Amino acid sequence: MRTIALGLAAVLILSGAAPARSPVDDHASALAALADVRAAVAEIVRIEDGYAVGHGAYLRAAHRAMNALVGRRDDGYVKSFGDPGDGVGTLGYLDLMLDKAGTSLWTPAVQGAKANVLAAAEDLQSALAQKEMEEYQADLTRALASLALVVGRPSQSGVLGGLSGALANTSLGVPLGALSASGCAAPAHAPAYGVVAGRLAYVALPRSAASAGIPDDLSVARVVVQGDTVVLYTHAARDAAALCRSAARLQRTRSVVAAPSKISYTVAQARAGAGVYRRYCLQCHGADLQGTAGPSVAGADFLATAQRNKWSLSDLRTTVFENMPFSNPGSLTPKQYADVMAFLLASNCYASGSKPFPQTASASLATVKLAQVARAKPANSKLGTCPAK
Amino acid sequence: MSRMARGLIVLAGFVAAVLVGGSPQVGAQGAWPTSDSYVNADKDAASWLLPARNYSGNRYLSETEITPANVGTLKKAWSANVDARGPLETSPIVWNGTMYVTSSHNDVYALDAKTGAVKWHFPYKPHVIAFSANRGVALSDGKVYEGTLDGHLIALDATSGKPVWNVVAAHDLTNTFYTMQPVVYKNMVLLGASNGDWGGIGYISAFDAATGKRLWDWNAIPGPGEAGHDSWSGDSWKRGGGAIWSGIAIDPATNTLYADTGNPQPDFLGTIRKGANLYTNAMVALDIGGAKPKLKWYRQFIPHDTHDWDPAMPPVLFTGSVNGASRSLVAAGDKGGNFWVLDAGTGALVYRLAVSTQKGQSTEPNRKGNIACPNTNGGVEFNGGSYMPETNAFYVPSVDQCGIWKSQGTATYVAGQFYLGGSFPALYGPSTGYVNAVDIGTGKFMWRKHLAFPQIGGALSMSAGLVFTGGVNGDFTAYDAKTGNVLWHYATGMTIQAPPGSYVLDGKRYVVVAAGPAGVNFADPRLKQGAPTLEGSYKHPTSATITAFTLP
Repeated sequence: MRTIALGLAAVLILSGAAPARSPVDDHASALAALADVRAAVAEIVRIEDGYAVGHGAYLRAAHRAMNALVGRRDDGYVKSFGDPGDGVGTLGYLDLMLDKAGTSLWTPAVQGAKANVLAAAEDLQSALAQKEMEEYQADLTRALASLALVVGRPSQSGVLGGLSGALANTSLGVPLGALSASGCAAPAHAPAYGVVAGRLAYVALPRSAASAGIPDDLSVARVVVQGDTVVLYTHAARDAAALCRSAARLQRTRSVVAAPSKISYTVAQARAGAGVYRRYCLQCHGADLQGTAGPSVAGADFLATAQRNKWSLSDLRTTVFENMPFSNPGSLTPKQYADVMAFLLASNCYASGSKPFPQTASASLATVKLAQVARAKPANSKLGTCPAK
Repeated sequence: MSRMARGLIVLAGFVAAVLVGGSPQVGAQGAWPTSDSYVNADKDAASWLLPARNYSGNRYLSETEITPANVGTLKKAWSANVDARGPLETSPIVWNGTMYVTSSHNDVYALDAKTGAVKWHFPYKPHVIAFSANRGVALSDGKVYEGTLDGHLIALDATSGKPVWNVVAAHDLTNTFYTMQPVVYKNMVLLGASNGDWGGIGYISAFDAATGKRLWDWNAIPGPGEAGHDSWSGDSWKRGGGAIWSGIAIDPATNTLYADTGNPQPDFLGTIRKGANLYTNAMVALDIGGAKPKLKWYRQFIPHDTHDWDPAMPPVLFTGSVNGASRSLVAAGDKGGNFWVLDAGTGALVYRLAVSTQKGQSTEPNRKGNIACPNTNGGVEFNGGSYMPETNAFYVPSVDQCGIWKSQGTATYVAGQFYLGGSFPALYGPSTGYVNAVDIGTGKFMWRKHLAFPQIGGALSMSAGLVFTGGVNGDFTAYDAKTGNVLWHYATGMTIQAPPGSYVLDGKRYVVVAAGPAGVNFADPRLKQGAPTLEGSYKHPTSATITAFTLP
């Protein structure tokens, strides 16, 4: 079934879904590196299982395996023996993946694979120098052991997982161009790749695609069928879920620290602000505050944007007081602006207090970063908004 | 949600391809327009292939069926509802009986151009950075191209509406989105990014039309070592603006791309970006015949702008008669209320004409605030105008507003927020509009109509002597090209900020225009109170429609 997985990747690239191949398509490189290793292994296994007579066939096999591993740019490549790989060689692909700034979760696995390819190449070199069949075979056996580690196994992450483990459990398994979803939430659609901090948590397939076969480069720890979607949870899914939980916990803690006394508005302000909103803001930001002609101003989408862009309460205040309503900025009274700020804070599930939201700028607002409020229970769980009351 | 949606579209595309066992079919040989079709778009009466009909960017039509004598009988042929969560700015593309339009949130629709029936609908849910708008699609070789609010360029199969590919095309997704209508030229999809008030640097990109692979970017702000870099003090160029966002014109004979660059940033604070701030607020002529664009010439309209008065009007190339001599010209219009005519070969100024009230333009905004006109959404807006050879006149709508401008002493960059160094001006006084007819021979008005509402719908002129345009109050109007008399009108009951188009089907000529809720810039309070129109009052619409008209 591996050919199916490769087939999918090939279709992706041919159909132009992954046109931004520069600088490096790591997923495709990993698959190609794996194919070259497997070609080298097949070459060695064939000669060991066969009944060839004489040195020639054995030397030829070792040379061909070497060619597949090191690629034509390496000094060890001898063209006349032919190449069961694609010419770039496992080493060529691994270098392509490692030759860049920064590291990924899969970097150690790829570094380990490279070390093992080099070890195998060393053994093959030694085999080529041997005169006696026994010594020759001992070298090939050692090379095979190293190559087994390069291939690795899908059920394991890290160095021991080799290339298969990295493809099955990390973001390396996501084809370029197929943008992944957050693996913290169950897939809402299929197909989708669920990723958490570099870990591949799941691959969701439409039932029709899954019934054609499950790609065996995946390490499927658990299969869940939900409606028309088949969700294949990887071995990394459990690790990913733990990360999601601790991230959620951290976020809650952070909000509790961030939210305190500095954010204050009164219920009366928020009520008045609802009227201001209806009159001056609703036309562009919508009755559900999710944006129509303008952007969302409350709930999950807004708070996620605010967090990503590190917006402070002061940033929000500046935009509202100075640039809204967009068709006539600055045209409301300070009281109207403060009221609508209170309405927005209430809609974003911030708790009201005894102090009103100030009508004049206050330096302390700059120290409050907007974030999802701890233990908030949005009345609208889908949008993540609270009613202003 | 939007990240999920993006991934899905790519994935859905490949799964669809896998399931049907190959790339999507595009129909019979020759079913789609070719490079020649685009170059000769003006001669194809039936179709509307490019944003302004032709590479010249001139929304003009050689047409004899609809005339000043019979336009009064023009009737609605059909209307089609589309997603109404924002203004419609789409310029419909029509080919072979199918019309391709977009909604503000990037939904794409293929409509039957005869009935308005929906052939397919591609829904999209982009994250909105600042406002929702889209000016339409490009069509080529069986694909429909759209730039999205979340910075993607998407190719859909034109027959089925299914995604073929989807690439992240913008460089800085925090501050950058697409509203421009892409233009296909040779093997390229040309698309400029909207990032000119959010701390970015303007650029236009070319993508391989077959695969979406980026071929080149041209940056509007010269970096260190490049000519023009010294027109910026210190590091101010790094967030210098100059977005290329409205529309482009191309001269295929010389492979010259004409584009207008947006305002410098921070918009209202000039003291931290001393100098002329090249190439903002300029028209640039780029040679795009080679692997990388080369700047042939530029003409900066307002050096060191501090009022967000960028040349929003897409360039229009035309051959006009100036003082009795035939000349190759290119027109531009800016939000500062200027209409510009340049020599198309050199960029030399032929003349400038104020088409909106201008006041206080030489005073930079300060902390106290001063009055200057036009307002930030004033002057000539993004749908531009058209030139009619029969009258040697250029027809261009404009907005007449004044504002109170304020700046701060500093500008702070906040990711995903306006980078202004001040605030957008408050409207001061009335908000009205003009439809202007400029005599190209003299550079003076042939006629102009003052209207109660801003005019941003762009103008379509027809050789029989008609000019069509729409207003913010929803009036869609046909004027006599020679006199400016109103010959026909239709109240859409919505806001028109999309340009008119036209096509022929089964021997009948149609005129089409999109209308919907007002965009953020033009959400005039009067609209909520039932603003007057030529046929009753405007009600804030809950729908957005494409309406086609034809003679009975």
